[in-house]
Amino acid sequence: MTEPGFLDIISFGRDGWGPVLAAGAWMTILIAIAGFAIGGVIGIFGAWAKISGGPVVRGSAEAFTTVLRGIPDLLVIYLFYFGGSAVVTAVGQFFGQEGFVSFPGFLAGALAVGITSGAQQTEVYRGAFRAVHPGELEAATACGMGRLLKFRRITAPLTLRHALPGLGNVWQVVLKESALVSVTGVVELLRQAQIGAGSTSRPFDFFFIAAMIYLAISTVSGLVLQVTERRFSRGVRRG
Amino acid sequence: MDIQFALETFWSLLSALPLTLKLAATSIALGSVLALGLALARLSGNLALDLFARAYVFLFRGTPLLVQIFLIYYGLSQFPAVRHSIFWPLLREPYWCAVLALMLNTAAYASEIIRGGLLSVPHGQVEAARACGMGRFMIFRRIVMPQALRQALPGYGNEMISMVKATSLASIITLMEITGVAAKIISESYRVIEVFVVAGVIYLAINFALTRLVAFAEHRLNPQLRPPLPISAELKGEAH
Amino acid sequence: MNMSAAVTAPVAIRVHDLHKSFGPVEVLKGVSLDAREGEVISILGSSGSGKSTLLRCINMLEVPNSGTIEVAGEAIRLKTLSDGRSRPADQKQVDRIRSELGMVFQSFNLWSHKTVLENVIEAPVHVLKRPRAEAIEEAEALLAKVGIADKRNHYPSHVSGGQQQRAAIARALAMRPKAMLFDEPTSALDPELVGEVLRVMRGLAEEGRTMLVVTHEMGFARDVSSRVVFVHKGTIEEEGPPDEVFTRSRSERFRQFIKS
Repeated sequence: MTEPGFLDIISFGRDGWGPVLAAGAWMTILIAIAGFAIGGVIGIFGAWAKISGGPVVRGSAEAFTTVLRGIPDLLVIYLFYFGGSAVVTAVGQFFGQEGFVSFPGFLAGALAVGITSGAQQTEVYRGAFRAVHPGELEAATACGMGRLLKFRRITAPLTLRHALPGLGNVWQVVLKESALVSVTGVVELLRQAQIGAGSTSRPFDFFFIAAMIYLAISTVSGLVLQVTERRFSRGVRRG
Repeated sequence: MDIQFALETFWSLLSALPLTLKLAATSIALGSVLALGLALARLSGNLALDLFARAYVFLFRGTPLLVQIFLIYYGLSQFPAVRHSIFWPLLREPYWCAVLALMLNTAAYASEIIRGGLLSVPHGQVEAARACGMGRFMIFRRIVMPQALRQALPGYGNEMISMVKATSLASIITLMEITGVAAKIISESYRVIEVFVVAGVIYLAINFALTRLVAFAEHRLNPQLRPPLPISAELKGEAH
Repeated sequence: MNMSAAVTAPVAIRVHDLHKSFGPVEVLKGVSLDAREGEVISILGSSGSGKSTLLRCINMLEVPNSGTIEVAGEAIRLKTLSDGRSRPADQKQVDRIRSELGMVFQSFNLWSHKTVLENVIEAPVHVLKRPRAEAIEEAEALLAKVGIADKRNHYPSHVSGGQQQRAAIARALAMRPKAMLFDEPTSALDPELVGEVLRVMRGLAEEGRTMLVVTHEMGFARDVSSRVVFVHKGTIEEEGPPDEVFTRSRSERFRQFIKS
């Protein structure tokens, strides 16, 4: 490829880097969504464990969030990437497969991002549940709602409303964290920018454009979240 | 889990601890100065300064730290002007690139924390100082800043922990701090769990110590939150 | 009070033709007022009348749009900015004059990170550059005078509102001010704490201190002050010795005001 100018990097033309960068951005969004969703499941269970678990369950949940608040996300990504590969290799050997089998980076990345954001979402959901007025839950019980019905119709929607702003923050964190998944070789936005930077003499342009795309994704998703929040928060009084 | 291997790993990782601490301490210290400047710019009432600080915070909080590190470490060399400048000996060094990126990044987050602290000081206390004839600088130094610091400390503690964690990204630009050494040992030995646990314990210990330190500072700085002293206690001499 | 002083003593504070607007709202519409040394002037008026603004203009916490303020014969120099607002021409002069006027606020405004004693010595040591030991000695005497010597090592949040306000009075006195400005000093206090603050203020009046007091306390205005000024809609509506204005005011509004 000939030496591109700045415009070639963003161009979708024959020599342009536009298409691959767009694909990278799409991969970034997919990792972030997968990580956020995994984190959501962990967060709901974590919050449930912290709120109504016994001493052992509560203690484990507490330990989980404390540990993940204290160790670098990059280390967690290495754990899943190398650890996953070790497990897959061992399974492969069991079935007679020779040599090292690499764990899919996307899966490792999504799991790692999911675990860290799961710790954050645990705190968000717990805080949101505590913000729900206990009288509203009592009223549901007084109406004769069973546990499941009460959770589905009253507790969950009320908690979610209070959780939305916090979840918005977690989403922004997840989006930025997804960049770390590039170390596993998944060609997401940052990895694609690295490839571009390495094969041309315009590293600044590539990383700058990547930064702008991150900024655009976070701004647009931030606006979407804001609108959603406003829609779902009807009737919620802000202190 | 292999105890012998874990111990060996522990000593290898411990040798990388000074670099992790140095990265964190340098960037937090330099970043706090920049953060204060940004917070003051936001509150200056000067539209140009305010807009600059807003844009800065928006850019650095809206993009991944790793991108910022790459922009500085790989990106800046694109410009001959940078390569020929007096800063090049520093900007060529991964260490200083990491410090620069971490510092610029933490300044964006910390400036918001400091701004919150400054805004928390009741305006009446500033007026009382004015009414005593104190000048702007003296009011800032003796009335506003001490109280803003107290208010901002818990949030700043969290930011410092984030920075300790963020130093791990320096390993991606070849610096052998704790995570860098851990990744190297993993790729040589394929013993993921042991290395992860040992490295995790070291990071947890650093952050636990940091948390205690911040809590201690908070306790020391907040005498008004403690129960009143007995009447007989003498006012301790202040070294000014 | 000392009525002869009110006529012959030198002027401590002179306010002449003061105008002050907040945006489109004109709060002071040309107010003039002389306070002679030793006078205690109660400034009365309903909320929004401009009485607090008048007081806050005297030490430049609000900068008037026009008019002059003299403290002990020295006029505070103002300059007009290009956008029409005015600013002090010399901030150093303003800081110095402020250090010569003691101000007591409605909400006390004690510095919450300093003990009662530290609040009192802060400005004497750092603004007036007095020796610390001397400042402490004087502060302890002042705290004894306002009756809270035992609270000197307490932080403001640990003492009652009345005690905080008395500490704030001691803080103002520690500057050895030429005049004292009180901005509704008892309005933020629980009723049972008002008395202890008024007693301290009465004591100061009896010492012959020059005091300007914005207040709602009719008893204080009637019994302690040498002159009463009634501010209404940004102008002085009524003015005179308390026994005159309280018994036979010509102003219908003032008679309404004291009845309510």
